[in-house]
Amino acid sequence: MTASAERQDGIKHLFIWPAFLIVLVVSLFPLIYALTVSFQTVRIVPPTPPRFVGLDNYAQIASSARFWGAIGTTALITFLSVSAQYVLGFLLALALHHNVPGASLYRVTFLLPMFLAPVGVALIARMVFHPYLGPVNDAMAGLGFAYMPFLTEKWPAIMVLAVIDTWQWTPFVTLLMLAGLQGLPQEVFEAARVDNIGAWRRFWGITFPMLLPLSVAVIFIRLIEGFKIIDTVFVLTGGGPGTATETLTLFAYNEGFKKFNLGLTSALSFLFLIVVIVFGTVYLAAAQRLTRRYA
Amino acid sequence: MTENRGLRRMGLLLCLVWLFFAAFPLYWVLVTAFKPPLAVSQGPTYIPFVDFQPTLQAFRDAFAGLRGDFIGPIVSSILVSVTATVLSVFLGTMAAYALVRFTFRIRLLAGVAFAVISIGGFILLDALTALRVPHALLIVLVTALPVAVWLNGRALPGPVLGNDDVTFWFVSQRIFPPIVSAFAIYLLYAQMGKIGLPLLDTFGGMVIVYTAFGLPFAVWLMRDFLTTVPLEVEEAAMVDNIGRMRIFFQIVLPMAMPGLIATSMIVLAFVWNEFLFALLLTTGDWQTLPILLAGQNSSRGDEWWAISVAALISIGPMVLVAAILGRMMRSGLLSGSIK
Repeated sequence: MTASAERQDGIKHLFIWPAFLIVLVVSLFPLIYALTVSFQTVRIVPPTPPRFVGLDNYAQIASSARFWGAIGTTALITFLSVSAQYVLGFLLALALHHNVPGASLYRVTFLLPMFLAPVGVALIARMVFHPYLGPVNDAMAGLGFAYMPFLTEKWPAIMVLAVIDTWQWTPFVTLLMLAGLQGLPQEVFEAARVDNIGAWRRFWGITFPMLLPLSVAVIFIRLIEGFKIIDTVFVLTGGGPGTATETLTLFAYNEGFKKFNLGLTSALSFLFLIVVIVFGTVYLAAAQRLTRRYA
Repeated sequence: MTENRGLRRMGLLLCLVWLFFAAFPLYWVLVTAFKPPLAVSQGPTYIPFVDFQPTLQAFRDAFAGLRGDFIGPIVSSILVSVTATVLSVFLGTMAAYALVRFTFRIRLLAGVAFAVISIGGFILLDALTALRVPHALLIVLVTALPVAVWLNGRALPGPVLGNDDVTFWFVSQRIFPPIVSAFAIYLLYAQMGKIGLPLLDTFGGMVIVYTAFGLPFAVWLMRDFLTTVPLEVEEAAMVDNIGRMRIFFQIVLPMAMPGLIATSMIVLAFVWNEFLFALLLTTGDWQTLPILLAGQNSSRGDEWWAISVAALISIGPMVLVAAILGRMMRSGLLSGSIK
């Protein structure tokens, strides 16, 4: 750093503090309050004065089957959709990278889904998967299958939610993997081609290992985002039938805003945070072992 | 070469299948918006003029306000998302610039001290005094922050965090499930309302939340864009004794314009589509489009033409965003942002 830069160093605070303060005050400080509330019984309806109950809220949630059910549902939808997104997104990126004819035609259509409101996507899905008036069942009837109640039974509903998430977020994987592919050094591929190494071995021997760190990051982002799923579930099934498709965020929302049991909901959202951290750590540890095997 | 041709065919096939899969729902919502009621209720219809006679009735109904207020949520969505995007991209760019051009050293112990003082202090104030929650939080903040800054200047033992850690701190805000902070913000906003500062269901309250929500993206993306801005021009300006602020506004910002546009588009899309915070923090006046959309579902049942119009209104601006980013993707601009 030059001498004049050192002299003006103080100004760096002016640059960073506004952003720092906003994130601190809006994102982190309310958590302190929520943490305190999570050890209390606070109800708005009927109003009761706050009472300290220690870990009771946490114990109550951890022993409820609905909580574990919500974790299972969320993890299942996320696992299904992220696997599909990664495989499809990577394949599409490879195709686009190798200049498939008409690439410019696909670009906007491929990108668009990830910029749409998940609520809007869910509304469209509701029409498309409608048991009598929707085109999917129409096509299935045309192929000789029976009408399928996609949204009112547990397993079809979970599959539909995973398909929607895949539809919406595969573009994200494609976008990043394509950027990764474009950043790879061309010389290695030239050399491999000169040595007459087949496409299959080129992919597994060069492309895949070189993009492994990026893949780990992309999947991580999608896992974290996937765990937050509420919008589509809220509109499509409302968590039903019963609580069969209830995800963690929806569970927290239902507890907090239908029953107005604030202490319990705060505790629930912190448990949710712990679940995300546990899943994230397990994933990163596994990914690290995989990366090391290739390195 | 035969092997390659086979692979290319498979790639093309995959792209075409995906194109159909990606485009069909969009086509469906587009044509449904022009369908008369009978074309919906008598089973699926696909092609306008062949299967049904298109009509603009659903659009007329929507904008005449026959089906609830459409204009209100549109206006509040535009105001809130544009303001929040401008603010977070601007502040995020400033922070990113600081992270690229200066070095920060933050002692871990000072950070720990900050956390301990603020959490412990708040619990004490909450238990021992009758202070309102916002007041107590404010007191804790103005005590803990100077103490932490002062401690950071001392020669404390323990690890020292650098610029990458500060960036990670910003980005890590995205790891939190939003329900955790959304719920906490709801509680806090409700408390603020009690002391005479209404934030629930107000323009200000929404903009603050969405600015904070967009900042992690803005800092992360702009940091990568700013590293590609050449240092020499700035150094030349500094030799001429031009102040940092002027350098930032007159040299750095114009040079980073493509990055600014790309980042703004991404932040705008996230704010425009955001559902959870809007669901918790608005009740009427400042409801945004996603909330209106979610409401369509229960209030409309199978009136698909009306639902499609609402969905199209929310989709429209995003088509533009995707088109702009698609152009940038072609020019290889985004490949820099993943390193």
